[in-house]
Amino acid sequence: MRDETDGRLVRRVLAGESQVYARLVERYRDRLGRYAVRMLGNVADAEDALQDTFVRGYRSLARCTNPEGFGAWLFGILVNRCRTYAAQRARRQAMVMLDESAVASASVAHSEDRDAWREAITWAVDQLNPDQREAFLLKYVEELSYEEMQKLTGTRIPALKMRVFRAREELRRLLEETVRG
Amino acid sequence: MAEHRDPIARAVKALQEPVRIDPGLDARVMAEIERLPTPVANGPLPRSVFAWLRRRRTIRLSPLGGLALAAGIAAVVFVSNRLGGPNPASVPMDAGGAAGATLIQFVLVAPGAASVSVVGDFNDWQVSATPLVREEGDGVWWVTVPLAPGRYRYAFLVDGTTWLGDPNAPAVEDEFGRRNSVVTIGGV
Repeated sequence: MRDETDGRLVRRVLAGESQVYARLVERYRDRLGRYAVRMLGNVADAEDALQDTFVRGYRSLARCTNPEGFGAWLFGILVNRCRTYAAQRARRQAMVMLDESAVASASVAHSEDRDAWREAITWAVDQLNPDQREAFLLKYVEELSYEEMQKLTGTRIPALKMRVFRAREELRRLLEETVRG
Repeated sequence: MAEHRDPIARAVKALQEPVRIDPGLDARVMAEIERLPTPVANGPLPRSVFAWLRRRRTIRLSPLGGLALAAGIAAVVFVSNRLGGPNPASVPMDAGGAAGATLIQFVLVAPGAASVSVVGDFNDWQVSATPLVREEGDGVWWVTVPLAPGRYRYAFLVDGTTWLGDPNAPAVEDEFGRRNSVVTIGGV
């Protein structure tokens, strides 16, 4: 019965079949994982945020008022968890004193290479401030509408549009510099 | 040729590529939730609530102070520990048992609103379970809810779309980062 809907699985968990939650975890692991990896810039932090999200989702499952929309509901929890993890990481990095110039030249040195292009993108996205990175990923990678983004983040649409605009400009500048380098 | 494409478009395409997360994550999640109580589906309040309602008690609220309806503060919560008369806005949970009980009133000043409800731990966050009724003319919405001792997070939902915290109550963030208010009823 792999085709059971989210709603049915959620209702089974709420009826006491807690092991059924594993099916929802498997279903959304990679889908949510993409956002977490892009937002946090590394798999280890992304997995921590994901695990936290799934556990919080389970604890709050009775408040999922639309079980068929479980995926979107859980994504809302993930977006918030990623914010927290990004803030924690920013504090850690501030202490480590990351040498940005060294990272930038490493990307430039391999800019012909496809993998290096990916690395450059990861690096460039990571340079955005968390609010801009979140807005850019939600808009262009997750392809949400501004209305959906507003609902998810609690930020008003004009502010979201500004963040997306700034993120695009900054990303373009960073990537063009990398390619030219 | 690809080198000439817009770098943003190229970046988006790369960022949209699927990501593989270690499937071992599933087992770690399930091991963690095994230690948690099973989430409870929406349903009626437990019997203990009604048993408690039959006894008179003093209720202590978290610092709400002020009750500043007159001062224009958007929302307040206050306690009524009088025997209840007919109450058009009490929640229909225990009409008989509620008589003589101390009740909590949730009040919101929202003159422009078409509908208001209070949503919280006490009604399993069902958005339409506890609607407020409007006083004639002055934009004050209210409802009375019987609550057992405990700590409850809550928020007001206006016109089905806008969430408002209670500025007079302590706040906590929920899983989505929204700020909810907290009321603590004495006895805990």
